[in-house]
Amino acid sequence: MGKEYLGEFEELILTMVGVLQEEAYGAAIAEEIEKRLKRDVNLSAVHVTLYRLEDKGLIKSKVGGATSERGGRRKRIYTITSAGLALLRTMKETRMDLWKLIPQLKMSV
Amino acid sequence: MTSKPPPPGWALRFLRSICPDHLAEEIEGDLIQKFESDIRRLGLSRARRRFEWNAMRYLRPGIVLRNKLTYSLINTIMLRNYLIIAFRNVTKNKVFSLINIFGLGTGLAVCLLIFQFVSHELSFDTFFDNADRIYRVTNDRFQNGKLIQHGTITYPTIGPTMAKDYPEIEMYTRLMPGGDMNVKIDDKIFRGENCHFVDEHFLSVFSFPLLAGDRTSALKEPYALVLTESVAKKYYGVTNGDYTSILGKTLYWGLDKQPYKISGVCADNPDNSHITFDVLVSYATLIRPEEHGADDSWTWSDFRHYVVLKPGIDYKAFESKFPAFSDRYFKGDKVSGSVEKFYLQPLKKAHLYSDYEYDIARTASGKAVWAMLIVAIFILVIAWINYINLTTSRALDRAKEVGLRKVMGALKTQLVRQFIFESVLISLIAFVLALVITWVSQSSFNEIIGSPLSLLKVLGEMQAPSIIIAALVLVSGVLLAGFYPAFVLSSYQPATVLKGKFQHSSGGKFMRKALVVFQFTASATLITGTLIVSKQLKFMNEADLGIAIRNIMLVDPPELTAWDSTFMTRVENYKDELTKINGVVSAATSSRIPGNRLGRTFGLRLAEQPSDTHYTMSFFGADHNFMDTYDVPLVAGRKFLPTDHKFNFGDINSVIINQNAVELLGIANAQEAIGKEILDGDLKVHIVGVVGNFHQESLKKPMEPIVFVPTYSTYAETSIKIKTSDPKPVIAQVEAVFKKFFPNNAFQYSFLEDRYNRQYNDEDRFAKVVTIFTMLGIIISCLGLIGLSSYTAVQRTKEIGIRKALGASRLGIISLLSADFIKLVAVAIVLSFPLAYMAMEQWLSNYPYKIALQWTLFLLPAVTILVIAFATISFQIFKTAKTNPADTLKYE
Repeated sequence: MGKEYLGEFEELILTMVGVLQEEAYGAAIAEEIEKRLKRDVNLSAVHVTLYRLEDKGLIKSKVGGATSERGGRRKRIYTITSAGLALLRTMKETRMDLWKLIPQLKMSV
Repeated sequence: MTSKPPPPGWALRFLRSICPDHLAEEIEGDLIQKFESDIRRLGLSRARRRFEWNAMRYLRPGIVLRNKLTYSLINTIMLRNYLIIAFRNVTKNKVFSLINIFGLGTGLAVCLLIFQFVSHELSFDTFFDNADRIYRVTNDRFQNGKLIQHGTITYPTIGPTMAKDYPEIEMYTRLMPGGDMNVKIDDKIFRGENCHFVDEHFLSVFSFPLLAGDRTSALKEPYALVLTESVAKKYYGVTNGDYTSILGKTLYWGLDKQPYKISGVCADNPDNSHITFDVLVSYATLIRPEEHGADDSWTWSDFRHYVVLKPGIDYKAFESKFPAFSDRYFKGDKVSGSVEKFYLQPLKKAHLYSDYEYDIARTASGKAVWAMLIVAIFILVIAWINYINLTTSRALDRAKEVGLRKVMGALKTQLVRQFIFESVLISLIAFVLALVITWVSQSSFNEIIGSPLSLLKVLGEMQAPSIIIAALVLVSGVLLAGFYPAFVLSSYQPATVLKGKFQHSSGGKFMRKALVVFQFTASATLITGTLIVSKQLKFMNEADLGIAIRNIMLVDPPELTAWDSTFMTRVENYKDELTKINGVVSAATSSRIPGNRLGRTFGLRLAEQPSDTHYTMSFFGADHNFMDTYDVPLVAGRKFLPTDHKFNFGDINSVIINQNAVELLGIANAQEAIGKEILDGDLKVHIVGVVGNFHQESLKKPMEPIVFVPTYSTYAETSIKIKTSDPKPVIAQVEAVFKKFFPNNAFQYSFLEDRYNRQYNDEDRFAKVVTIFTMLGIIISCLGLIGLSSYTAVQRTKEIGIRKALGASRLGIISLLSADFIKLVAVAIVLSFPLAYMAMEQWLSNYPYKIALQWTLFLLPAVTILVIAFATISFQIFKTAKTNPADTLKYE
């Protein structure tokens, strides 16, 4: 790997797509981030990031069925690809490796 | 279930316009979902605000740039179709399309030409490195509370003293024109090169490119010369571009025994330099350091000054220190005989905004330049209006197409896009045509303008802001011209159109009429303006100058002949021999000729007046034949006699003054002036005669008080009055006589009338350009009228058929059809009166002698426009009126 690089927000969105599974669409992702991380996100930023991730082949999307909610607009449901999942996993592992290198007993300081 | 409140409509529309189609639904959906939850949490109004704000935030590259691919993919298919339809439309109605494209093309070409001219005029002096910091020092002089001189000339001490007193000045330079050079290299004689005496800082202030020599030291030594490239080629035949090889070579100037040394070669003056020269002569030649007297002069005022201010100095604030400077060194009018006021003029204004006396700058009227720009804009607008009018008037032809497209599911935006596409296409073709016209007419235009312009050069020299402005004007013009027809055409209801009961809305008619009125108002204003400009020119060219300048041949002065005791007799004999030539009436020599700027003397008074009295008069050296040769009427006393001439200037005792001078000196009448003694410095003279006032310079300048002094000089031109149908043999004989008396001098002649009329070059040029463009403007307007009249004629075919069937006369039909158009043109003419009046009054205010704005000057253009308009539409109208009603009605 190494060449692929994800920004913090990109990684967050990618993870959320993985978490939400069949319910992963723009508004839901934003809501979930707000709920879990208490972090205010703008929808446009979420959308732009989603499109970018899709360009990179880390997620794919399909249009969902019509509902009476949302002014009759259909949702676009995103799912994480195996490449996306692999990247997330590598990132997590490298981070854990690094984490282990930090001296854990810092009580005296 | 109650319906939920909808999100703000404009925000949705905005989203849809910026988001790619395949993403819009999802984005809207997500936003609406958020909106709905916001309503529950925050209430409707805050939710709406949030929605709007969130929608706005989609205007970001990550979203907008995603449009590209799909957008053009869909459109390429339609684009092909638009192209085909546009092409079919152009070819279907060839005359119509030709009128349209030709009109627009001519309008654009006119604009391109004028644009070149204007940007050339505005580019003057911008090429100097320090252009922003260079200022001309100008000097106004007052005597007895009245402005007596408004000039660019001042004293040689001003530059050094100001530089010493004010740290704001980084550098200064002084210049004094040296006139034509008369140069001898080995035994070859060259003449006619224009030279200036300039001090050593000149090439540092003005960054003329130097091809050889050193910028800072080239003009330090006395007798040092800097040549321009073409003079170097002429004098020394340098062809390989190696100008350093001629450095140090010497030449002789006039009668000067001292050799002059070439110390530098600079590139030829750019076309947009206000200073022009062929040769620069070091200032030290004129005033050698050891002769301090002249360089310290506070009275010798022949020097043009330029200063470079340090960066960041506000010149207006700096200028306010000059009154104190003037008090300090001139002590009122104690030093120079007049109260001195100094000003700074930014270098970039020197070309267009100068009205100074004794100006050496190449100047042009800034007003005329802007007026031409306005004319160009007028014409472009007229052309665009034509386009709008012709296109909307043809709407009926396109209405069925629009209806069908709508039925097949075309959106209004698609139709708008289609028609704008068409107008862009037509504009592009017109633009290409305009480039061709510009290219073809460039050389004749350059001849009128008198500068070698070219589109490429102008584009190359243009700076970013003017490129942006020009592009913006073009693009917005094309879009505006395209938008109106596009919206008119795309707004038709398919049902009405396809039923065949389609008529124009009255709104559209009104719009078209207003546009025609605008066009013809512009045309009528232009015609009136052209007429008044040419009348004023004619008036100035034919005015009674008080002096006869026709049929006068001028011979250049015999500068290479020395001034000695034999010179006066030699000139007398020379003139005698000239008058013996068959066809020569009389001959005279004078220091100046009509059309020349006269020198001034500032400290003149009558002997009987108190010694602190100062009067300023122009100074004219003339021989005793001058008044007769030029038919200057004698008012009192006598003309000069041969005995008035003296070998020593100081021995001269008689002068003639003109009537303005009598008035200035406060003498009651001309008769009383005779015999009075005049003092001017060391000069003590008596008035022997009074002559009438005459226009020494063009009618753009007022007549000045003049004092005539009987002089001979090696620098005096000969004026020869001839009376012959064929001047050729006379010229040959004059040359022979000249050569006999003044061997070694080059014989060069010219005709006074040509030289005098050159003072009107600026006006001539303006009149020619405005005339041409007025004609083009009218032609374009008429093209529009042809299109429009043929269209209405077609529209009203049935109406006319019925009228005729019911017994209307042919004349009745003609007046019915033409009345509509003539009414519009009449309104336009009435509107043009005040416009033309105001514009021309403003223009005429520049001239002290001018024509009166009589109503006839406005009537003639009005009639012309009416006749032209009627002639334009008459062809179509007669055709319609002649049609047999049976032919038009049988289809019903």
